[in-house]
Amino acid sequence: MTDVVAMSGLSKVFNPGRANQVDALLEIDLKVSAGTFVSLIGPSGCGKSTLLRVIADLTPPTGGTLSVNGKPAAQARADQDYGMAFQAAGLFDWRKVVRNVELPLELRRMGKAERRTRALAMLELVKLPDFAEHYPWELSGGMQQRVAIARALAADPPLLLMDEPFGALDEMTREHMQAELTRICAATQKTVVFVTHSIPEAVYLSDRVVVMSPRPGRIVKVVDVDLGARTDDMREQPQFFKKVTEVREALRGIGAGAPRGVDDR
Amino acid sequence: MKAGGVKRIALGLSGFVAMAATWELYKAIDGKLGPWHFPAHADDASMPHLLTIGRRFLQPEVRDRPGTVLQAVISGSWYTFRVAVVGLALGAMIGLLLAVVMERFRLLERAWLPYIVLSQTVPLIALAPLISGWGGGLRIGSLHWRPWMSVAAMAAYLSFFPVAVGALRGLQSPQAHHEDLMRSYAASWGQTLWKLRLPAAVPYLIPALQLAAASSIVGAIVSEISIGAKGGVGRLILDYFQRASGDPAQVYTAFIGAALLGLVTVGLIKALEKLLMRNRAAPGLHP
Repeated sequence: MTDVVAMSGLSKVFNPGRANQVDALLEIDLKVSAGTFVSLIGPSGCGKSTLLRVIADLTPPTGGTLSVNGKPAAQARADQDYGMAFQAAGLFDWRKVVRNVELPLELRRMGKAERRTRALAMLELVKLPDFAEHYPWELSGGMQQRVAIARALAADPPLLLMDEPFGALDEMTREHMQAELTRICAATQKTVVFVTHSIPEAVYLSDRVVVMSPRPGRIVKVVDVDLGARTDDMREQPQFFKKVTEVREALRGIGAGAPRGVDDR
Repeated sequence: MKAGGVKRIALGLSGFVAMAATWELYKAIDGKLGPWHFPAHADDASMPHLLTIGRRFLQPEVRDRPGTVLQAVISGSWYTFRVAVVGLALGAMIGLLLAVVMERFRLLERAWLPYIVLSQTVPLIALAPLISGWGGGLRIGSLHWRPWMSVAAMAAYLSFFPVAVGALRGLQSPQAHHEDLMRSYAASWGQTLWKLRLPAAVPYLIPALQLAAASSIVGAIVSEISIGAKGGVGRLILDYFQRASGDPAQVYTAFIGAALLGLVTVGLIKALEKLLMRNRAAPGLHP
């Protein structure tokens, strides 16, 4: 299998050489092979979001090597090789839902009819076909986040980068969205890098959970999760709890006391 | 018409009636409360009866000549309106352009903004004749500089300011994740401007344009008065003032014309707001 994301010795230092220097990432080695779902988890300030932004070429690394989809990150961004979703759905208020999904296609100068067809297919995928002509502010938070996922998938990128996309949702909606994301990923065969601070969320969604420690941000453990098909029942299976415990203990091992900023729920 | 519409019209009318009643009441009780008068004169030369002003509209502008005051005020206001709209359009374009450049280059924002603020502290009444003087000899091809162009330039000078400041805030209003999103698509600066910044700036532009519209009317009238440009309502105010001792009601006809002119212009921007904001969430609806 090919690696969609490959990095070695990757570092990120903010304000290098100054009094407020921060080692956000230190010597990160990580490979994400095609079709796998990888979660980054760790307490606040462990650099998991920074790592995602580095992969997305939204901020440059200060050391090490990085390739995304087999090319330099900047090239991958230019080629729209990844779709991104943030904690805030970030839909444009003035565009109807379908035109929000069309945005990345517009920027690639795809023809009007083609991008409309494509956008409607994506809304079908996230089960919101009836809301194409609505405005984002007419939708609930969970629905908005589904539109954001449809938008991230619109250009059919091989890689999805998600930065706590369900962090602002209530627990019920959140579990529903996790199930939906699992279904969508199975249907589209995407590679996903997913930032979260919820342990059950990471275990439920992922093939691999990457546990990170703060200051400097390092990978302390990679937990392989192999639980088979994701169902609601699975959330109550002993194997599930075993993996949750494994991740939690890795997080506990980071420092004295309970790690802050990590959700046990 | 919807019930809300009727209510609003009734409210507007009641405001007008209240104003008229206050005016007439002030005149009626002046001198009646005792052996003294209000500090502000209420005699017929200073505050003509509203009926007198209303009648004056229908009488000839100049005795024994055709053409009523109403016609003169309407044609003067229409003329000033057109000049002010030219100025407003020019000022809005300049303001928007300045904002776009300042948004793009932070350094220029710091360098220019103080001067943009400073520009509005120059007294208009002094600047208008200067512009008129500079423009006087100007000739672009077969186009001669006309006095109305000086008036439009002054209207633009006043109206660019709120647009520049409002648009700058609006262009800077997208949140970090919106900008990250556009960067993740490798969108160019122009694409980000067109698809994100400008639409995001619309709610900031509307109130700025309202201020600019009012300013453009003030700017046009004051410079018409200041340089004595013919044709507009500013000139009417000037002319009628010179005859005010013999014909006090006439001055007020021009005032009313100028006031209505401002209302109509701001009303047009309101209509523009309805058009541009039809897709937006009502305030408070934001999740």
